[in-house]
Amino acid sequence: MGVLADKREDAAAALRVHSLRIRAGARPIDVEIRRSEILGLAGLEGHGHDVFLETVAGVRSHTEGTIEAFDQTGKPAPLRSQRDAVRNGVVYLPRDRKTQGILPGLSVLDNFGVATLSRFATAGVLRRGAMEQTYRTYHERLAIHAESPDVPITSLSGGNQQKVLIARWMAAHPKVMLLNDPTRGVDVATRTALYDVFREASDREGISFVILSSQIEELLLTAHRVLVFREGTVFKELAGDEISSDAIIAAMFGRERA
Amino acid sequence: MTPGALSQGRAWLSRHGYVGLAALLLVLLAIASLIFTPGQFGWDAIWVTLGTAAPTLLAAVAVTPSILSGRGGIDLSIGPLMGVLNVLLVQYLIGTAGLSSPFVVVAAALVLGAIGGLINGILVGVVRLQPVVATLGTYLMFSGLAIWLLPSPNGTVPIWLTDLSSGGVLIPLIVVAAGWAALKWTPYYEHLMAIGGDERAAFTSGVPVVTVRILAYVLGGVLAGVAALALSAVLGSADPTVGPGFTLTAITATALGGTSLAGGRGGLTGALVGALDIFLLQNLLTHFNVSTFALQIFYGVILVLAVMSNAARLKVPWLRRGGTA
Amino acid sequence: MRALGGRHARSLAAGIVVILIFLAGSILVHGFGSFGSIRSLLLLGAFLGIASVGQTMVVLLGGIDLSIPFLMDFGNVVAAEMTGSGHPFWQVILVILVLAGLVGGLSGFISARLRIHPLIITLGMGYAVQGAVLLWTKGFPSGAAPQGLPGFVSVSAHIGPFPIPPIILLWALVAIAIEFLLQRTVFGRRVYALGSSPEAARLALVPYVSTWVWVFAVSAMFAAVAGVLLLGFTGSAFGDVGSPYLFQTVATVVVGGTMLTGGEGGYIGTIVGTLLVTELTMIMTSMGVSSAIEEVFLGAVVVLLVMLYGREAHVRERI
Repeated sequence: MGVLADKREDAAAALRVHSLRIRAGARPIDVEIRRSEILGLAGLEGHGHDVFLETVAGVRSHTEGTIEAFDQTGKPAPLRSQRDAVRNGVVYLPRDRKTQGILPGLSVLDNFGVATLSRFATAGVLRRGAMEQTYRTYHERLAIHAESPDVPITSLSGGNQQKVLIARWMAAHPKVMLLNDPTRGVDVATRTALYDVFREASDREGISFVILSSQIEELLLTAHRVLVFREGTVFKELAGDEISSDAIIAAMFGRERA
Repeated sequence: MTPGALSQGRAWLSRHGYVGLAALLLVLLAIASLIFTPGQFGWDAIWVTLGTAAPTLLAAVAVTPSILSGRGGIDLSIGPLMGVLNVLLVQYLIGTAGLSSPFVVVAAALVLGAIGGLINGILVGVVRLQPVVATLGTYLMFSGLAIWLLPSPNGTVPIWLTDLSSGGVLIPLIVVAAGWAALKWTPYYEHLMAIGGDERAAFTSGVPVVTVRILAYVLGGVLAGVAALALSAVLGSADPTVGPGFTLTAITATALGGTSLAGGRGGLTGALVGALDIFLLQNLLTHFNVSTFALQIFYGVILVLAVMSNAARLKVPWLRRGGTA
Repeated sequence: MRALGGRHARSLAAGIVVILIFLAGSILVHGFGSFGSIRSLLLLGAFLGIASVGQTMVVLLGGIDLSIPFLMDFGNVVAAEMTGSGHPFWQVILVILVLAGLVGGLSGFISARLRIHPLIITLGMGYAVQGAVLLWTKGFPSGAAPQGLPGFVSVSAHIGPFPIPPIILLWALVAIAIEFLLQRTVFGRRVYALGSSPEAARLALVPYVSTWVWVFAVSAMFAAVAGVLLLGFTGSAFGDVGSPYLFQTVATVVVGGTMLTGGEGGYIGTIVGTLLVTELTMIMTSMGVSSAIEEVFLGAVVVLLVMLYGREAHVRERI
């Protein structure tokens, strides 16, 4: 763990948030996310960690501060909308799978490919074979339990629906994945499997993750660094060995650790 | 104006704010009407004018409960229901059966209207057809039935009914307005707005969603019965062809009056204001001798513009439908 | 939950009903099963089917288009007037398609941009278009059907040596093209995605406004084309030719199993729905049933069929 963390400290920045204010009167936020880093976000309901994530994703607009993504050469690109974000490899998995994630009534394949349709098309005509082939690789990699890509997404369990949604965005070849409570309503086995997926993607492909979680344990298991939010700003940053359940909870309630 | 009256006025506005532009339009149209067509708004003439407008006003009110009930709720069959009731009442009840007592005719209108509404209510609430589909079906059935029963206009109406197209018009309008006001005091009204706003939340908090929805359509049917009386009064006979036309006018009027097609917001005021807008607009343009064709363009454009200006109000939760799988 | 291949289950059910009604017709009406009668069925179906293309796409998107009859009137009258004043057919059709596309696109744009239910917007636009047409023709449309058009759509027309009216072939080609568009193109899948869940689709960067604009534009164009084709059938312009199609296009779409809530169904279902509505009307007409009863019956069929396969879930299952 220590060695990896050190390596990450030297890694180039993937995303930089500069003086971003998400709530009037709150202290502006400065955060840098490095390549292959897994950054956890914690906080009590209504303390702004979700607003922060949505703002970085471009789902919410911001007026104060800048959000920049860096490409391979280290050149920054400002992000002002979700379209900007996705174009620069910053993708977002929404919190409410049922109303913001899945396309009910459509097939697993449709749900998988909706964000990357033009990647699988020539002159607007879909190359279904190519799309299905790509889906297969994620099907294996994420161990999605679905009889076929043609079954309706709603016939899958919650955990498997979530895997399809994660595959949807992985297929966009992201540099940064912003996940809003990704294991909400997901069974324990799938949860563990997803953690492995996140770790592997960060280690092997250099993808950075920002994971907002309502489960502190999830952050302990995945994050290299945790930002604890309080009253609309970052209250405490914990890294490496500092990350512990007690420390996170203490910060959530506004206490410096005793 | 005293501060008290001012704050009262504000409170009224916030409750009826959804009427918005339609109310402004109404004021403008009323002023224009008074200037250009004073003849129709004299002490005597105004009752006739109001009598002519009554079927449109009441049809708009009749379509409102189904729209308020949400989930794509809309009663397309209101117009044909008015038409078939007109035929049944004038041709059969008054004509063939010779029962022309006001009590019998009014009771029959309300009961038959309620039955028509109940059919829609069951199809939507119990059978769970999409409201557009269910009421499209009954639209065709009611309008076909009217023409089958009476292929061409016929019959006469008793004098008391004719009175409803002039001074007597106040009776149905006041009764409906008073009834609506009374309804607002009942828990039913709360339930109706609740299922229109967020059906799932309403269900979870114990609102009998299905019953409330069925009753919304029954209420619409009863109101269509009242509208059919007003229509019979204006026509002075049974005419199987005029009913269906009221559906689109009624929906247009409610939308114009700011009632959200997504449900849960709107009411009597909106329906009446919207319907009056349409009536006055048509009346005025006709008076100006604007050809009916230009009138039609005006009508369409004003409809689109009015609904657009209400957009924030009408911002439709059907866009956030999700999770219905 | 729906089984594999469930996408077509409802259309299949409607298809079986089409065959049953056809068999019933063959028993009840002498000669109903003949080639000539099938040809009439397909011919009459072609007008309704082409007029319903747009309604299908709009409903898949989760909307409804009430401007279709008015745009049919528009296509019908404008084609006659322009032909009457000597314009060649290609100019006629070009002008009609462009204008109809603009009107439809505007409806789609307003509905999508301001998030207003398209029911009211399309109705208002329809009134405006109808008014404009009436004003232009002073209420008495004149002119003539473009040359060759009657030969394209009449029941006695043929393709080469085959006694099949070309419009039937046109309908078949349109059907293939639309199904291809809906199922196999980026645009088509976006229509389904937006119809299924506008919010989820938007978060997956499906372009919302432009898709709505195009779908409504296409809907208006097909409606106008159907109006032009009807001109060939009737021979002279009629400013109210579209009015039966207001509810009939909705009926064909829902009977064919496309859900009004969007995202489920397709044009195959609409073809089945079109045949069903058309054959029902034909049988009743040839049995001497009055048009009033036909209407009652059609209403009952819509309700009964959708009862079979288009019921919504109870609220308790949607929490």
